[in-house]
Amino acid sequence: MTAMTRREWLLSERPASRRQARLGQAYRTWLTFRSNWLAMVGLGIVLALILVAIFADVIAPYNPVIGGDLRTARFLPPLTGDHLLGTDDLARDIFSRIVHGSRLTLMVVVLVAVIATPIGLLVGTTSGYFGGWVDTVLMRITDIFLAFPRLILALAFVAALGPGIENAIIAIAITSWPPYARLARAETLTIRDSDYINAARLQGASSARILWGHVTPLCLSSVIIRVTLDMAGIILTAAGLGFLGLGAQPPQPEWGAMIAAGRRFLIDQWWVATMPGIAIFIVSLGFNLLGDGLRDVLDPKARK
Amino acid sequence: MLHSRTLLAATVAAFTLFSAPVRAETPADTLIQAWAIDDIISLDPAEIFEFTASEIAGNSYEGLIGYDPADVTKIYGKIAESWEVAADGMSISFKIKPGRSFASGNPITAEDVVFSLTRAVKLDKSPAFILTQFGLNPENVDQMVVQEGADTVVFKMDKPYAPTLVLYCLTATVGFVVDKKLVMEHEANGDFGYEWLKTNYAGSGPFAIREWRANEAVVMERNANYSGDAPAMARVIYRHIPEGATQRLLLEQGDIDIARSLTAEELDAVRANPDLKIQEGPKGSIYYLGLNQKNEYLSKPAVRQAMKYLVDYQAIADTIMKGKVSVHQAFLPNGFLGALNDNPFALDVARAKELLAEAGVPDGFSVTMDTRNTPEITGIAQAIQQTMAEAGITMELIPGDGQQTLTKYRARNHDIYIGRWGPDYQDPHTNADTFARNPDNSDDATSKPLAWRNAWDIPEMTKMADAAMLEGDAAKRAEMYLEIQREHQETSPFVIMFQEIEVSAMRNNVNGFIVGPSFNDNNFAHVTK
Repeated sequence: MTAMTRREWLLSERPASRRQARLGQAYRTWLTFRSNWLAMVGLGIVLALILVAIFADVIAPYNPVIGGDLRTARFLPPLTGDHLLGTDDLARDIFSRIVHGSRLTLMVVVLVAVIATPIGLLVGTTSGYFGGWVDTVLMRITDIFLAFPRLILALAFVAALGPGIENAIIAIAITSWPPYARLARAETLTIRDSDYINAARLQGASSARILWGHVTPLCLSSVIIRVTLDMAGIILTAAGLGFLGLGAQPPQPEWGAMIAAGRRFLIDQWWVATMPGIAIFIVSLGFNLLGDGLRDVLDPKARK
Repeated sequence: MLHSRTLLAATVAAFTLFSAPVRAETPADTLIQAWAIDDIISLDPAEIFEFTASEIAGNSYEGLIGYDPADVTKIYGKIAESWEVAADGMSISFKIKPGRSFASGNPITAEDVVFSLTRAVKLDKSPAFILTQFGLNPENVDQMVVQEGADTVVFKMDKPYAPTLVLYCLTATVGFVVDKKLVMEHEANGDFGYEWLKTNYAGSGPFAIREWRANEAVVMERNANYSGDAPAMARVIYRHIPEGATQRLLLEQGDIDIARSLTAEELDAVRANPDLKIQEGPKGSIYYLGLNQKNEYLSKPAVRQAMKYLVDYQAIADTIMKGKVSVHQAFLPNGFLGALNDNPFALDVARAKELLAEAGVPDGFSVTMDTRNTPEITGIAQAIQQTMAEAGITMELIPGDGQQTLTKYRARNHDIYIGRWGPDYQDPHTNADTFARNPDNSDDATSKPLAWRNAWDIPEMTKMADAAMLEGDAAKRAEMYLEIQREHQETSPFVIMFQEIEVSAMRNNVNGFIVGPSFNDNNFAHVTK
């Protein structure tokens, strides 16, 4: 070990243990990823979003929901005093609201990913592995969900459940799993008759064990890519619901709701709606770049 | 036809793209107004109870009597030439002006008046209570509203109500006179022509309603048979443009003459534009918070008082609602008989905290507030939310559209409701009836005024309001209302905040538009441009 640097150990052609092999593989992936500077920009944006969300209380100079003096501090343009991005119609600091709004955005993205990905994986792998009527039933249900435009279906769910950020998350999660199920099913179909799966079956492994231990890990990388690429869409859907008054409710500093509120003042006080719009743009772009980069390194079929 | 239209649209689009912006101009004899007209559900005076439809009826129909919008105490005859209150105060007889006619050319007779009033009572739509509160009902109305001789109508009542109350009620849209002959020609299944009149016109006002296209436009034309001075405008058109920003752009370009629903910020921009001007008129509408007495915290008198100190009335009126409201804290709007114009409350967090401690909730509590999701109500609600938080009261806003919030409010399932109340007629009883009367506080009460909606049980105040309704002497009556309002201010679960000011922005050449105290008083018969 002493003679070997950590880098050499990781890139060793003859790993001495499974751990070394895995870490080596991860390191090689990272090296490929790092060479794609656009993907690094995406990663940087997403990491910045996470940091801003964690340290929102420290970063934001003002309270995001309680404004200043209505008489003197309304509609201050950007860079007035210490209001970096200006203030809105209720004299609230827009920068502080965007910083706190990042928490809501991140919460939506993470929760939707956590809810929708397992559902999609479960439905897809089960359907692809068992085939037959299980496949037919599950895929027709998926078809039904896919037949609706996503925002419209989310609107219907929110209308039924009542407006609010939690219900918006549930609605988006319910509408985003079908593509993952499709993807997982397709992957499962290509591997379910391969020799190592049959070997596991001959050794007496149960279906659940095969699905969880052998099929799911192989589907995971393509699903992760898809989820990351979808995150921009999730953010936009959440913002769309907020804009329509069905997502986060006032005074929560959700970016879509902020645009909706600022729209009335767009002609004279352009910054009220523009600033959260830019925030949504940057974060969506970040997730898209990251997803693209991840696909380049994770998708075995795309590798040259 | 379709092709030529498409071609036309394409040409117009091409011109807008490639030519320098040219200021459009409306025709010289046409007045075009932009407003949100989606509240219209009917054009039948017996059913009209909405802001826009009231204004349209006010300019196309006439009542027996009217009042001067600048001084509502000056009542004059429109269809009636004169009127006389019987010695016992139980009836009023109206003598009809001779020689006047409807837009259809039919003469206006006492028979039309009797028909219109009995028709409104028998149809029994939302505004019918304005007439039925005098003891009229579909069964007895044929005996209560009768014709005597050729040109006299007698209006009988079950009690000697204050004469001004009765007269003001007859100025409401529900008392407008319709053309009996024309309406009955279109009767179907004994509906008094209701289905037809919903979308048609049978009146005698300065303008005739030619067309109503829902959520698009209302077109009115000069009434050639109008008995008064002919209006200068041949046509008046309302365009449905709900967005204030769009209205402002159209007004600046000259595509419309009057913009009716601009927000405070847009009005600031209009004030700065030399081509445009602003006309204001106080309206009777009141903005208030209703605190439901079924809530354990809100039912404490000291909490109710504390909340009245936790609204920054003046700051809201100066900023978010600049130019659109004035601070007013009693239930009778300024301009009404007996209106109380004292504003004893202002933002005072320290005082509110004392009151909360007195009520046993020094650390505050959590409540919800049902908020209609219009920009203005949401803005006021958020400003109140902020000042309430300063005293530890956590207020969660529950937004909904008008229908949702109102349904919940009417079932009294709310904690706090932020509302706007418009008086139905110009007599103080209209607001006293709803803010200060609650004859039956049980869940299945038949009458459900605002006091009931907030579960405020007030047998004493109800008696005072009932007595004021019957007082014939105006000065004494005004004093009675002042007394009720003073007590109301100190004890009621209503945080009354503002009185509305209606603001219209118009092009400089538009003159003679009158903004009256209620929407059917908004008058454009004398507009010139």
